[in-house]
Formats: sequence, C-alpha cells, structure tokens
Amino acid sequence: MDKLIFTAVSGAERLMRSQQVHANNLANLDTAGFRASMEVATNQPLGGYGYDDRHLSTMQADTVSTRAGAVRETGRPLDVAIGGQGYLAVQNGDGEAYTRSGEIEIGPDGALSVHGHPLLGEGGPIVLPQHTAVEVGTDGTISVLTEGAKQMQVVDKLRLVNATGAELTKNEAGLIVSRDGGNLPTDPNVKVRPRALEGSNVSAVEEMVATMSLNRSFEVQMRLFKASDSMNETGNKLISG
Amino acid sequence: MNPAMWISKTGVQAQDAKLQAIANNLANVNTVGFKRDRVVFEDLFYQVDKQPGAQTADNTVSNGVQLGNGVTIVGTQKLFTNGSIQTTGQSLDVAITGNGFIQVRRPDGEPAYTRAGQLQIDSNGVLVNAQGLPLVPQITIPNNATAISIGENGVVSATVPGSIAPTQLGQLTLTTFVNPAGLQALGENLFQETAASGTPNEGKAGDGAFGKFKQGALEGSNVQVVEEMVDMIAAQRTYEMNTKVLSAADNMLQYLSQASR
Repeated sequence: MDKLIFTAVSGAERLMRSQQVHANNLANLDTAGFRASMEVATNQPLGGYGYDDRHLSTMQADTVSTRAGAVRETGRPLDVAIGGQGYLAVQNGDGEAYTRSGEIEIGPDGALSVHGHPLLGEGGPIVLPQHTAVEVGTDGTISVLTEGAKQMQVVDKLRLVNATGAELTKNEAGLIVSRDGGNLPTDPNVKVRPRALEGSNVSAVEEMVATMSLNRSFEVQMRLFKASDSMNETGNKLISG
Repeated sequence: MNPAMWISKTGVQAQDAKLQAIANNLANVNTVGFKRDRVVFEDLFYQVDKQPGAQTADNTVSNGVQLGNGVTIVGTQKLFTNGSIQTTGQSLDVAITGNGFIQVRRPDGEPAYTRAGQLQIDSNGVLVNAQGLPLVPQITIPNNATAISIGENGVVSATVPGSIAPTQLGQLTLTTFVNPAGLQALGENLFQETAASGTPNEGKAGDGAFGKFKQGALEGSNVQVVEEMVDMIAAQRTYEMNTKVLSAADNMLQYLSQASR
C-alpha cells in the first residue's frame, strides 16, 4: 500500500479532535470564569528505514489560556471576579483545585461553595456565622455584620493563589490544577473585585476562525485521501493489465 | 461520529435554557416582589485521552490530550437584591426594606414566604395577600375601621369611629433565611423553605436584617431591562455560533463520506 493514505488519515484524525476542543470552548462561551483550552498540533516523525519523509500529525491539548475574561457588575455581594492573574482555591475530594468562577453560594449552615466545591479560606473551608450582611474586600477578606452588631467583623480571607499558565492544567471536572499535583502558594498580590463576575476568556472570533480553518483543512486531507486512492487504483490497473 | 456535534448541541441547549430564563425575567418586569433568575453554567467533565506527563519510550515527558464535553447548567439562581420602591399611597400596600419575607399560610396549612406586599382584607376582615392567603400572624380588621396604619415595626392599628386613639390589632413579623437563593419558587410570588435555604428565622421588623415595613409603597421587580436585553443578544449570538460549529462538524463528515465513495 502507498503510505500517503496513513499520513493523510493522521491529519484528518487530528483535525477532528481539534474541532472537539474548539466546540467545547464555544459551548462554554457563556460559562462564568471558564478558561479556554488550547490545542496544538505537533509532528511525529516515523523513524526507520530509508528516506525520512513521513511525519504523522498528533494533537496536544492540556494547556489553558490565561487571558482575562470580560468582567460585568452583578450587584450580588457574594459574586467575585479576580482582577488580573490568580485563582480561588476550592476543595476537590481530598485535595485542592482552583477556579476563576466566582459565583459563591452559601449553604443552609453558612458554608460557602463554588458549584458544589467547598470554598477555601486561609483557615480551611469557609463557614459564615449567622449574619445580616456580608461583604468581600478587594484583598479577599470576608466580613459579616452579625445580629445586633454595629461594625462588620472579619471572618476569614479567601485563599487566592497564582501561577503561570505553563504550571496549570485542567482536571476531569474542569477545575484548574497544578501540573505537578501540588498545592499552589497563596499570593497576597491577587486582588478580587466584589459584586462582579468574570465571563469566560473564550474569544468567539478566534474559535470561529479556527473552526472554519479546521473544516477546510479536513477537506484537503480528504482530497489527499482520494488522490492516494486513485493512485492505488491506477497501479492496480497496470498490474491487472 | 464527530463528537464536536454533541458538544455544540450542549452549547445550543444551554443558550435555549438561558433564553427561557431571560424571557421569564422580562415577562415579570412589572410583577411586584419578583426576583430575577440567573442561569449558572459550568463546563462538563473532561475526557483525558493521554495523561499529561506520561513518559514516552524515548524518555521525553509528553503533553496530554484533554478533550472537553461541552457545557451544562448547574442551576438557576434567584437573585435577592432589592427592587425599586414605588410609592402608591394605598394604605394596604407595604414594601419591605431589608431582607425579610412576609409569612402567609397556604390552604394546606403549610407556610410560604413572599416579598409582594399588596395586602387585602377578605370578607371576614382578615388581612390576606394578593392571592387571598392569610398572613401569619393573623390580623383581623374590624368592620367599622375608617383608617388602617401599618408601622415600620409591623404594628397594625385601625381607627374606629368614636375613639380618638387608634386601636392596635397586632404586629406583622418578618422572616429571613441564611440562603434565600435556596428557597423554592412556587409561583404566585411565593417561596417555600427547602433544605438549601436553611430554617426560617422569624423576628420583628426593624431588628437587624429583617428590614422595615413601608406603608403606601410597593417593591417592584429587580429585573434590569437593559441587562436582560444585552443578555438576550449575547445568548442569541452564542446560540448562532454553536450552530455554526455544528454545521462545520457536519461538513467534515460530508467530506469524509464523499471521499470514501
């Protein structure tokens, strides 16, 4: 068999899987705090005998884009948006995971969580006492006004961490985790903006262009597929006479 | 089949749900005591095709492949920010400034909570809400009352002919919840306690976060029309872009089937 057809197939396979990454980014265009996944194609030379002409294409997709998303005011006291780089720490099973999604919910016992994951403060999961008002400061301090009190009291401080994009990846649940599996250190320079939410950092234009270009590249792979098929057919004719 | 198709489908479905919430918010823009809903999204689980950091034969650490599966709705969230107060001048209209709810008794005897303060008097003289459910604690207005006043602390008093000082009839209470977003919306401006909302905390108006009654005023909905319209445009365009990916994925399959014909 001609080897061209396998090279073309590896390209087509890569393009179809890349499409999945971009489809996922676009589906989450409206998910608060979502970080876009990035995909890159790399070549994989097939070693061995003879002229080194075959480079199969494979995909890598485990990096997250750290570009900031658009911030919008919501007016809800427990919505926070992170300004610049940085992440909120949440509990995920036994370990820690990170998120940019600041839609903090409060449970019936006063425990704070983000999408069901307990939110971590500097002293572990944050539980608010009975209160009449709650405010989050720009440095992440959470203060509440308790029944009968005149002044706000500080309860805890959000555990805000920071890391470069290269150190981060996503886990199966879509939360951000460090690549080496360890906990990220607290960064006092991370600032939050209370009563606001950050949208996703997906660029609709980039995703649409990527989709279109993947679509056309796939068409080219299919042409090669066909070309290879007709070459083989011609060869077969030659033999059968 | 191309998985991108199912992923775009989740995106289209999510925007469909969002549009439904926006439509309901806009439809209730003039409903007294209405609290707007917000749809909360999160990304679906990821499938890890190749574990990041796995060692390949030539001892290089490879990058992994993680493919997302689309978007899902975590839930809808009622936002309990205060609505704008409209002065109506009606003696039986009350607005609540603060976080409290008025408690009413449903026909089955169970309590429900509301922020809508369009009160009425039924044929027996009992103070009821707009749907005719009696308030808790129950207050009966005498037949010959000429004026009714409701104080900031909830004390209801009536002026009756022949008496100079108004008679006190009772005191309305307010109820707060740790997590009002966890209340179940029953329709008719009513909310019901759930495991997520926490237990009701009843108290006197004017104390702490319960808030105060304002007679002669009503709390409008907290729907921001401009915000809803912008959300609607964004939802529509996101829907459109997801369908574009759907057709691109379809095109890829078409090229494939043509090539192998």
